[in-house]
Amino acid sequence: MTRTNRRKLALTSAVLAVAAMTASSLPAQAASDPGLTSTTIKLGITVPLTGIASPGYNKIPGAMKAYFDYVNANGGVNGRKITLVIKDDQYIPTTAVAKANELILKDKVFALVGTLGTASTKAISASTQLAKRGIPSLFVNTGFSGFADPKGYPTTFSILPSYQMEAKVMGKFLKEKYADKKLALIYQDDDFGRDALAGFKQAGITFGTYIPYASGSQSLPATGAGWISKLKASGAEVTVLFGVSSASTAALANAYAAQFKTQWVLGSVGGDATTIAATNKAYVPLLYGAKGFSFAPAPTDATDEYIKLFQSIYATAQPTQTFDNNVVAGMSNAFVAVQALKAAGSDLTRAGLIKTIEAKGASFANPFLTPLGYSATSHVGATGYWIGTYDPTGALKPDGGKYTVYTTDSGNGPVVESTYKRPAMPAKGLPN
Amino acid sequence: MLKKHPLFTFIVFGLILFLLSNRVDELRVFQGATVAIYVIAIASIILLTGYSGQVSLGHGALLAIGGYAAALSRNHWGVPVWISFCIAVLAAALGGYLLGLAAARLSGPYLAGTTLALAIGLPSIANQFSIFGGEQGLLFDIGAPPSSLGTDFTQYKWYFWIASLAALIAIYWLRNVMSSRYGRSWKAVRGNDVAAELAGINVGRNKVLAFTVSAGLAGLAGALLAMTISTVSPGAFPLALSFSLATGAVLSGVTTLGGVMIGAVTLVAIPEIVGSVVSRFESSESVANNLPGLVVSALLILTVLFVPNGPVEQMRARHEKRAKR
Repeated sequence: MTRTNRRKLALTSAVLAVAAMTASSLPAQAASDPGLTSTTIKLGITVPLTGIASPGYNKIPGAMKAYFDYVNANGGVNGRKITLVIKDDQYIPTTAVAKANELILKDKVFALVGTLGTASTKAISASTQLAKRGIPSLFVNTGFSGFADPKGYPTTFSILPSYQMEAKVMGKFLKEKYADKKLALIYQDDDFGRDALAGFKQAGITFGTYIPYASGSQSLPATGAGWISKLKASGAEVTVLFGVSSASTAALANAYAAQFKTQWVLGSVGGDATTIAATNKAYVPLLYGAKGFSFAPAPTDATDEYIKLFQSIYATAQPTQTFDNNVVAGMSNAFVAVQALKAAGSDLTRAGLIKTIEAKGASFANPFLTPLGYSATSHVGATGYWIGTYDPTGALKPDGGKYTVYTTDSGNGPVVESTYKRPAMPAKGLPN
Repeated sequence: MLKKHPLFTFIVFGLILFLLSNRVDELRVFQGATVAIYVIAIASIILLTGYSGQVSLGHGALLAIGGYAAALSRNHWGVPVWISFCIAVLAAALGGYLLGLAAARLSGPYLAGTTLALAIGLPSIANQFSIFGGEQGLLFDIGAPPSSLGTDFTQYKWYFWIASLAALIAIYWLRNVMSSRYGRSWKAVRGNDVAAELAGINVGRNKVLAFTVSAGLAGLAGALLAMTISTVSPGAFPLALSFSLATGAVLSGVTTLGGVMIGAVTLVAIPEIVGSVVSRFESSESVANNLPGLVVSALLILTVLFVPNGPVEQMRARHEKRAKR
């Protein structure tokens, strides 16, 4: 008797639980695409707000929201106000898919924006079937070259230049500046690093020493000492680090501890002072003198009209937060999103938005110092880099006091000094 | 009725799930699939901890073995989906067997530590060999649902059907194993291994066997998890997954299979419920982000304090007490 009761209870509770989950019902189908009303556009973002990868990145949604609110206060986009639904994926692909599903199926967003991390972006795209459903995934924050290929990801647009582009620009810089020096490379041994290796190969650069490290490794600070002894043994005069910020931290801290001097050249991903400061503030000055790469104007450059605008918007919206390159990234991303929505017209549809970016994206107003690469055959955002040197506060300052931008592609194209002159910012920083 | 006609009950339950899946929206269907996967994974921990007395804090690693085995076999040999799931079970069971050989010699905190180390270490192996696709992982595409199911049959419903069917079969099978000679031996080992040995039970062999079976189930859960996110990557099997599965097992009650749904539903529902409650109030971002974890932790502590054997076992005990009076 009691056994039966127990089983009955288990079964009933199970059925009840499933029944409880069905409590919400489907809303009526609207005539237009989801996430749109005559007065609103709903966008969704999933990023790591907590967890190991969150320092730095967790400022991106707040920065985006600050810019969207600014646009809303100035009349919105073609009469529609933008709402941004923010979810925390903790940098875990499984969570990212669950959160993206909530955004798409529950919050019914019009488009995803600013998804972060290659593994999460890939999982979201495959599992939620973005392409099949025609859901735009605007301006993903990853440099994996695959996302820029509309054949594989027809509704996804990237915002960063590809890692391969970055390595090609870096290669040209190394050739010109350090041709007679002994070179070494520390790189992440996965697709991120392999994209870079391909780029260096195209640039015709061979390093004296190659030091791969496993991505996702929790023991980087310890392995860092090993890198330095290898660098010492090889007598590396210039060391390129193409990895994440935790790898930069490990390398810089161990080099300092071992009194080892080399000219550091840091990839854009690993050169973020905010992320390094999250490990230990004392490590930030170690960036001093290192070379770095960026495509956006420097966050400290108050002469730049976009930076000036972003600084004033952000100071009002998030008075307690520091304005850094994560904020610039978030606000730039939001700016390009608003520009795209604006260009798609008041008769907004998902398909129309994608077509508009493909057709007009290359001429969008944007804060970046490189041209945008959007076309029907390429979904890559920025297409090059400028080179600078870190000051003692961890801020990247352009070499020679001005931005010299190099552009290239992810294929066999050459690296050329860009003649691109960014058009003046639209009035009040509101895209036309 | 369940006792007399367990198979019949499982079929009825399956039919209820089937009917439900046609009535709810897609997000619930997706969450339903996740619940089914957690059911299998938690059952696997209950089998190990509750029935054979071994602790695993590293079940995420066994799920990872299953997920990668399924994806690799499907991508490289193009095997049908169900075979890739079988391969996942076998691969994880093999991993569990090897781990079990070590585990049988360890107990308590040492075993917990070993499994924990595995959960930390194993996913990063994926970054060492290019066959595993590094940090961004591998695609795992089980294909579109058969066209005979109709054009408006969604992918997520397909996932839900597969996951629920797998969960029903797994739990039914596990239930039968539990009442077999093996199940009784495992329970005897958990109760008192010296007494079990005196009764003629080979303690070591039984521990290894329990670990193997548990790992096989975890591998199935891993393959299904990979199916729902269409990819496998090291990041999909973080330490947090291992911990939430262990939490789910405690919430379900580690000594009975009957409450397995409780833990699974809690793990899926709490973040969403908390999220929607928080969104009604203007609370700070850091509160909203950390509250789901806090609520689950609080539930865990309350369960351990007040219903240490889980709600289902507690009810049963109370009923028995009342019956004796």
